Amino acid sequence: MPEQAIKNKTAIAGIGWTAFSKASGTTVANLAAEASLNAIHDAGLTPRDIDGIVTYYYGTDSFDVRELAPILGIDRCNFDLFCGLGGGWACGAVAAAAMAVFAGVCRNVLVYRAMNGRSERRPRNPDAHAARGVKQWTIPSGVNHAADVFGVPVVAHMARYGTTTVDFAHLAVMQRRHAGLNKKAMMRAPITVEEHQASPWITYPFRLLDCCLQTDGAAAIVVTSAERARDLRHKPVYISSVMGGSVAGEHPWEVNAHKAAAPLYAGAGITPGDVDLAELYDPFTGMCLLHMEGFGLAPRGEVGAWVRAGGNALDGETPVNTHGGLLSEGYIQGLNHVVEAVQQLRPGGVLDDFCEGAHDYDRAHCRQVKDPHVALVCGECGDTSLILTSD
Amino acid sequence: MAENAKPLPVPDPDSQPFWDACAEHRLVAQRCGDCGAWRFPPGGFCPACSSRNAAWEPLAGTGTVQSFVVPHRAYSVAFEADLPYVIAHVELDGTAGKVVIVGNIVGCPWTDVRVGLPVRVDFDDRAPGVAVPRFRPQA
Repeated sequence: MPEQAIKNKTAIAGIGWTAFSKASGTTVANLAAEASLNAIHDAGLTPRDIDGIVTYYYGTDSFDVRELAPILGIDRCNFDLFCGLGGGWACGAVAAAAMAVFAGVCRNVLVYRAMNGRSERRPRNPDAHAARGVKQWTIPSGVNHAADVFGVPVVAHMARYGTTTVDFAHLAVMQRRHAGLNKKAMMRAPITVEEHQASPWITYPFRLLDCCLQTDGAAAIVVTSAERARDLRHKPVYISSVMGGSVAGEHPWEVNAHKAAAPLYAGAGITPGDVDLAELYDPFTGMCLLHMEGFGLAPRGEVGAWVRAGGNALDGETPVNTHGGLLSEGYIQGLNHVVEAVQQLRPGGVLDDFCEGAHDYDRAHCRQVKDPHVALVCGECGDTSLILTSD
Repeated sequence: MAENAKPLPVPDPDSQPFWDACAEHRLVAQRCGDCGAWRFPPGGFCPACSSRNAAWEPLAGTGTVQSFVVPHRAYSVAFEADLPYVIAHVELDGTAGKVVIVGNIVGCPWTDVRVGLPVRVDFDDRAPGVAVPRFRPQA
């Protein structure tokens, strides 16, 4: 498989976020604007430098992408995209922005994800008439929740390979430990394997501590050309390979990640062994395990043991979800994973751990990974994914 | 429909024969009229050869649990009384592993359900002329 023509031709030049909370007390539009302005200013740009806008949503949890330009005073837009594929598309949004820049359609593309995901939760009773189309096959049997869908490949993996809920517990505990080193994380108090195992079932195979948070907040990034990025405020984080589509897994215990991994790595001219850290979509612990395995961080079928041995720790073989992820940092549907990867790859490293001064890698206060240059990021099921790199 | 009634499937032109058969407590599946490939969900084109020809074939009504989940909290009041209930993906016998449908498993504690469990269809009559397939462990 060939390297992608887009390899290292575009870069993430700015990142921004809002506070992550249970009740923002403001509108989704204001959250989007705040994170976007933070990202634009972080890049050393102004809103009028932006000429493309991309976002994604699920159901009715966002506002139309075209509402943001007038709020920010953006007076021309060459490309916009409002994709309804939800968390699967977290990296697709970045890929679309990169392609618009690479094609010369746009100079600087803003990507944001904003929601009042906790305070404006949708009513729990689904529309009685919703059992049409593909949902006529699921809703009549009581499939109403993401766990009812994403638990399925996980239970198949448990049966195929002997993965257990104790493996899930080790993942949850590790990500909480990472979140404890992250000032913006919603959940920082340590948890134990025993507490995980004692937490109530939500949908088997997932207990309460297997499930991601619900969050009010926003994250944003600015994508520009590699050439322009080199003249901006921060050293560029290059977009080295992108994948942005999805098909079903080959086996019931596999997801799109298992198919996307090879072309993603080939696109950047690397192998899984080159990955220094990974920020992988983690709506439920078990899904994150499938992503780790699908992208080759752990041997096929051995991801449970890999996590129990701490392969995903900040000083492990490949640190995963160094910010705490959707499980413990917040549910910004995966764009917070992109932000974390960029922070980790910048020369100065993460800004919002508890280090005072330079990073010293003391895990009592420092969450910076040691000298990373290659990051893997993926959305739900590995439907979309990125390789990001720094010099 | 009462607020606490379980939802009914909304058939479309491709799925109508499936739901019509369910109403008569028969399980059927669509097959390509040219290459014979099984097709689920039912649709207008064969994924193997793109043919638009299709035929419906009766199935034995037995199958194997390929995977499952068990909600312990209801996100729809219609399922509150059933908690915890099993949602299984069942690979139907006689379809070369290509027809996998979603259905509840009844007749055993949820902790007895496992991947590989042999099951038999058992229709849930929800409304006049509407039955939804569910499954029981094979005796």
